[in-house]
Amino acid sequence: MTYFLQTLVGGLGMGAVYALVAMGFSIVYRTMGLVNFAHADVVMIGAFLAATLFVTMHLPFVVAFTAAVLLTGVIGLGIERILRPLESKDLNLMLIGTIGFGIVLQSAAILVWGSFGVAVPTPIPNVPIDIGGIIVTTYQLFVLAVSGIVMLVLYLFLDRTKLGTAMQAAAMDRSAATAMGVNVATANAIAFAIGSGIAAVAGALVGPLLYVNPALGVYVGIKGFAAAILGGFGSIPGAIVGGQIFGLIEAFASGPLSAYSELLTFVVFAIAMMVRQTGIFGERTVDRA
Amino acid sequence: MIRIGFGKPLLVALLLVLPLVLDTYTIHVAILIMLFAIVAVGLSLVMGFGGQVNLAQAAFFGAGAYVSALLTTTYGWNPWLAAPVAVLATCAMALAVAVPALRVQSHYLGIVSLGLAVAFSSLLSNSDMTGGASGISKIPPLVLPGLDLSGPHDYYYLVATALILVVGFALFIANTTLGRRFKAMRDDVLAAAASGIEIREYRLMAFLLAGLIGGIAGVLYAHNARYVSPDTFGLGVMFLLLAMVIIGGQDSIWGAIVGAVLLITARNLLTGVQTYQQLVYGGLIVATVVFAPRGLAGAASDLRRRFDLRWPSIPIPWTAGPVLPSAKLTVPRSWPQGIALRVDSVSKRFRGVHALDGVSLEVEAGEIHGVIGPNGSGKTTLFNVISGIYRPDGGRVLLWGQDVTGRRSFRMSRLGVARTFQNLRLFRQLTVLENVMVALDRDPAQAHIRYLVAPWLVMRDEGTRRARAVRLLEDFDLHEVANELAVNLSYGRQRRLEIARALAATPTVLLLDEPAAGLNGAEQDGLKVTIRKIRDAGVTVIVIEHNMNLVMNVCERLTVFGHGKVIAAGTPREVAANPVVIEAYLGQGTPEAEAVL
Repeated sequence: MTYFLQTLVGGLGMGAVYALVAMGFSIVYRTMGLVNFAHADVVMIGAFLAATLFVTMHLPFVVAFTAAVLLTGVIGLGIERILRPLESKDLNLMLIGTIGFGIVLQSAAILVWGSFGVAVPTPIPNVPIDIGGIIVTTYQLFVLAVSGIVMLVLYLFLDRTKLGTAMQAAAMDRSAATAMGVNVATANAIAFAIGSGIAAVAGALVGPLLYVNPALGVYVGIKGFAAAILGGFGSIPGAIVGGQIFGLIEAFASGPLSAYSELLTFVVFAIAMMVRQTGIFGERTVDRA
Repeated sequence: MIRIGFGKPLLVALLLVLPLVLDTYTIHVAILIMLFAIVAVGLSLVMGFGGQVNLAQAAFFGAGAYVSALLTTTYGWNPWLAAPVAVLATCAMALAVAVPALRVQSHYLGIVSLGLAVAFSSLLSNSDMTGGASGISKIPPLVLPGLDLSGPHDYYYLVATALILVVGFALFIANTTLGRRFKAMRDDVLAAAASGIEIREYRLMAFLLAGLIGGIAGVLYAHNARYVSPDTFGLGVMFLLLAMVIIGGQDSIWGAIVGAVLLITARNLLTGVQTYQQLVYGGLIVATVVFAPRGLAGAASDLRRRFDLRWPSIPIPWTAGPVLPSAKLTVPRSWPQGIALRVDSVSKRFRGVHALDGVSLEVEAGEIHGVIGPNGSGKTTLFNVISGIYRPDGGRVLLWGQDVTGRRSFRMSRLGVARTFQNLRLFRQLTVLENVMVALDRDPAQAHIRYLVAPWLVMRDEGTRRARAVRLLEDFDLHEVANELAVNLSYGRQRRLEIARALAATPTVLLLDEPAAGLNGAEQDGLKVTIRKIRDAGVTVIVIEHNMNLVMNVCERLTVFGHGKVIAAGTPREVAANPVVIEAYLGQGTPEAEAVL
């Protein structure tokens, strides 16, 4: 029982990171119906930026964190601007374009930071806390707290502000939103910037948990992406639940099964997708003839 | 149509002469290029033609290589025995990846296939059986009796033969009915199903082809390199393949080959600066999708169209002539009798909203039946139920007395129901002729076994189908634009093409969903004549229309919808005088309202 609970708690930290990555995918998807395949590599860039500013340049963690978020936001804006001509024309092509950006970002990271990577110390003293026989580390709690705050702010933004509502309107019906005075291009750009910013949050938080290297994006990104789909694309609670599910699967599959952990994860995921295409919180849309 | 021409034999000759002038290193590079060209052709078929975002192609390549390597080393099989088993195993794996494609598409399929590919890679690098990260070495070479194929020259010829066979087969598919059906499915899945295409089977087939071709390349790779490791089939290689296909032009077999030649050559010229290579081809993917979405092949065909005098681009007049199918439409020997279609208290709900609430109607054989009603009253939903796009929640649909409730779309097409769509659903990137040829093909998916056992039959049918398509296009006055892409037609012509395509499926019942929408006066007059002629050819026509002029003049009986229910039925005159109808359309019944109707 203690083993079970310990594993359960152990999955929470990575689960929160996956949830953040899923959020980043979701915010772009719910605004423009596009899955940004470059997102995974933006997470990696965010991790590197935060690591460089924090470890190499000895800036305070808060400053490094904020700067990384802003810089990746700019990268997001750039991706959206370059791919904008394809918007509303061919989403499949745009999707391939984002894969292209992913490749570019990954090789750029190798050029700038090398392919070996950096170990990042935790920004706060990482001490284990014993709660009834179950060990939780302070950094895990920190990750949960920061991601919780980011989720809450995002929810308030999308649900309670005029701009957030306008972005959702742009997603539902592009032309109707345009007619109501929503600048769809701006909404898309903001979505990309926010999505990339959250990616940096995820990257900065995951740095001390994993080793920051150019392949990090693939590792964290695909599971975050799968989490977004599993939870229901575009849904905030979906992203959280999906992220935690993947964190848990990972925690339980490591150990004796570790060679087959990814296989297991994705087979479960593929089956889940087929059972319920729209994910846990997604809504079924009707294909209009 | 496949034209042999001069180019292809010349290329084959070049391919065969090349090793005589190349040094050993270059021959090794050439072998690698050819192997990648084979894998890329497989990806082009599944993704460019079939529209299936498959990010597991590198894993298929790897599966072929690893299975063959394992069988010949650990189990000591003869390579020639291991090869077909490895290819079959890859096909099985491709089908496993295709299963999610039956339910999810586009982005979702992309991530599912990518996830499975990553899982495959991690399995290779973690499992003891596959030698982990160090891979499998000492793979035996392929040896023919009396001929050692381990030398680069001989192996070159083996791979070249495989390339020629694979490319020939892929071109054969691409230019005949199977390739056309793939592209139709890619362009518009609903319209493809309504034209009689079994979407599931074709998605499986697309993946199966990708697996087959990827597996062949994998086997050839393993016995050439004599060593396999997980890196060779990882994500980097997947993205390289993707770049080849995108840069070359997604739906072009030649494009995939050109992409392979360019990128592998570039990769070998730039060894040592591997990271820059990645930067360059990532950038090229972005540039291609933004500036030349159809890749090099698309750019080349645009150029050819511009300069080719034999194939002048036909100016498309904005004033499309009247739609006049001549009497050449086949008239059935025995005029249809009885009730063509009976809808019996059909219901359809969407999240609690009753789109159809116990709808019943009867259409007699040879009738032109109008369905009218305000927007959102359930007319199109009814068509979607009849044509098999939706399964009704209750009630029955009977076609010529046979219960066809809940049959899938392609089955309804096979049973003789054809339809058009409210918002034009043409196969946009197919030519006008091809649009019609897709619907003319009434063979089930199993008939494609002919590609393997009797290719000449495929060619024969292709010829007759083409001739019939041209005749049908002449009937619709579209033959002048036969080779134009459907997307380039004027709106009026697109509407006409959609009707022609529906008729090409030789229906007994034709469903027209707002055919007059967006047509000008002359075009509407043409449409009236067309609808009558279609009926005179023995086809029962049901038409949804808001244009009262057309409805009152052409339809013999009308069914009026309001809020998902039938509120009136009868001849146009009866319906126009019905106070319920007047109220539904114009609110309170007033003398002015009656005058309008």
